[in-house]
Amino acid sequence: MTEALTGEDRVALFARMLLMRRFEEMIIHVAQDNTDIGRNHLYIGHEATGAAVAQVLQPGDLAHTTHRNHGHLIARGADPGKALAEIMGRAGGLNQGRGGTWHLTDREAGFRSTSAMVGGSIGLSIGSGYALRELGTDNVAVAFFGDGVLDEGISYEALNFASQYDLPVLFVCENNEREGAHETSRLAASRLTDVPRALGIEVATVDGHDADAVAARTAELLVTVRGGRPVFLESQLERWPGSHQVKPEFVTGVTDLSHAWDPAAISGEHAGWIRDFDPILRFARTLLDDGTASREEIAAIDARTIETMAAARAFAEASPYPDPEAAAHDVFAERSAADA
Amino acid sequence: MPRKSYAQAMLDAILAAFESDPTTRVIGPSFAQGRGAPETQEAFFKTYGARIMQPPISEGVTAALGAGAAMAGLRPFVNFGTSTFAFEAWNQIVNEAANAHFMSGGQVTVPVIYHMFAGIRGGGGVQHSQSPQSMYANCPGLKLVLPASPADIQGLIATAFRSPDPTVIINHTKLMGLEGDVPEGDVAIPFGQAEVKREGADVTLVATSLMVQRALDAADQLAGDGVKAEVVDPRTIVPLDRETIIASAAKTGRLVVVDEAAATCSIAAEIIASVAEAGVALTAPPVRVTRPDTPVGFSPALERAAEPNVEGIAGAIRRVMG
Repeated sequence: MTEALTGEDRVALFARMLLMRRFEEMIIHVAQDNTDIGRNHLYIGHEATGAAVAQVLQPGDLAHTTHRNHGHLIARGADPGKALAEIMGRAGGLNQGRGGTWHLTDREAGFRSTSAMVGGSIGLSIGSGYALRELGTDNVAVAFFGDGVLDEGISYEALNFASQYDLPVLFVCENNEREGAHETSRLAASRLTDVPRALGIEVATVDGHDADAVAARTAELLVTVRGGRPVFLESQLERWPGSHQVKPEFVTGVTDLSHAWDPAAISGEHAGWIRDFDPILRFARTLLDDGTASREEIAAIDARTIETMAAARAFAEASPYPDPEAAAHDVFAERSAADA
Repeated sequence: MPRKSYAQAMLDAILAAFESDPTTRVIGPSFAQGRGAPETQEAFFKTYGARIMQPPISEGVTAALGAGAAMAGLRPFVNFGTSTFAFEAWNQIVNEAANAHFMSGGQVTVPVIYHMFAGIRGGGGVQHSQSPQSMYANCPGLKLVLPASPADIQGLIATAFRSPDPTVIINHTKLMGLEGDVPEGDVAIPFGQAEVKREGADVTLVATSLMVQRALDAADQLAGDGVKAEVVDPRTIVPLDRETIIASAAKTGRLVVVDEAAATCSIAAEIIASVAEAGVALTAPPVRVTRPDTPVGFSPALERAAEPNVEGIAGAIRRVMG
């Protein structure tokens, strides 16, 4: 058994989720004002999953994520200003402008490489898990990926490998089912978890909008993972309607936390998603209902978060573009006379 | 200087790295393909079995394991066996391992070695007779090593194990039994330093991997006719020691490049382009000796037709000598 999160932990978890949401909302605002900030795969709607997993990980645990990575990085403590600067292609970005939205990387936050290839994170996580075990640590590797990754052959290879070699890897599949009108995975198995289960991997399914449930379930599963067995967690999510293949659209508006206690005020075409599936509003409602936080406390967290974002945007916009000469730097860590 | 086989030198280099660095690992241990040094291999397994992993037949995740483990603090030597199996892992090598240092803004290094056997090995058929070096040379972020002698394989593997960068080592299968002198002690050979394997004043032969041996044989043959051929082995293609190649071509005024990969967009083409761009005034047009731009058929007769050989190199030398 693992210890349940304290009230303080849950308020911190809420603050983490709100930070992720306000960050992505800022990206939409920035993209509206900057024609060169293009396609971004936002994490809106997934916050309960990423934040809750981050909440129960330990320092030193290594995570690999995907093109939809902003939320994971922010959840594990990446600086929002540097993250935004990276998304804007600036020299002050996390990756010095080399990675952009696709590849946000922050070594300090436990992200060594973020792949935009479908199936990239699941493969690299095997290497991280193997190294963490071989180096004698108690740390684990986490692979975040979408349901489409199970269409890729490397998923089968990675799951088989992790199971055979007892690697400490937590596979977190954020199943959002659709990209616009298209299904995001086409699997002959009736359930995603049938695939890892067939390879001897313990599987779990959780409502990905429920922060308490994700945190509790992940904490339990991590006991198994730290003990040396991989586990596959499917987080079931209803896709945020603003997510598209092109620039994200602000279809659900700026999140209004008062909707947590005043659902009657929710309106518009996507009122159903906001009311039933927005994990931020849902968790705010839970914290209010069980007396963990007051409206005033929630409003204060939001005010601080909005200030953080204003500072982040100021930092990113003040950051210069990289020196064109830097285009040829860091191709190799070690250069020889022949490279000159 | 002790004399040993290419296979023995390769194993000795891996052993030395294992002795000095506890973070080294071998992923895919059939690295001598039964072609020599069985006693050393057995001793290696006995001593270091816990650091040797036999992966399932899953090249994609094996390559990803190498990249991810390197990012997280190990030094994996990933062996694919025959190079064409690494095509199954193309994305992991050229798009994950090769790019991570650059795209992270220098936050991570990826000190993984990807080792493979390549070339027209005899009976490999179309799919196991490839020479993929030019493909890897076109992927920025990968170092590319083509050792042509026992001393080179030992010294270049030693350097690869100390390099912070992902390194592809391609060994021609037919080199495994080659005997040669290998220096004792710390034999690391820096990347980016070509070796002039034979000096000569009349014509420059730039050759890679097994073709170095073929070029040396051709040079021997031509010496009887009074032609003094210089044989330059770049040893590493990335980084490429253009300076030594250009200096030799400028000295002799004649250039023949021998590489087993298909001609178009090849290392041979790159070397000729480098000499041309340097403004070297050759006295005769340069010549490439490569396999043709065709697959390699199974029949020994078809293999022989595709494989660059001593006669072909000698013919190219005569052509540039006019």
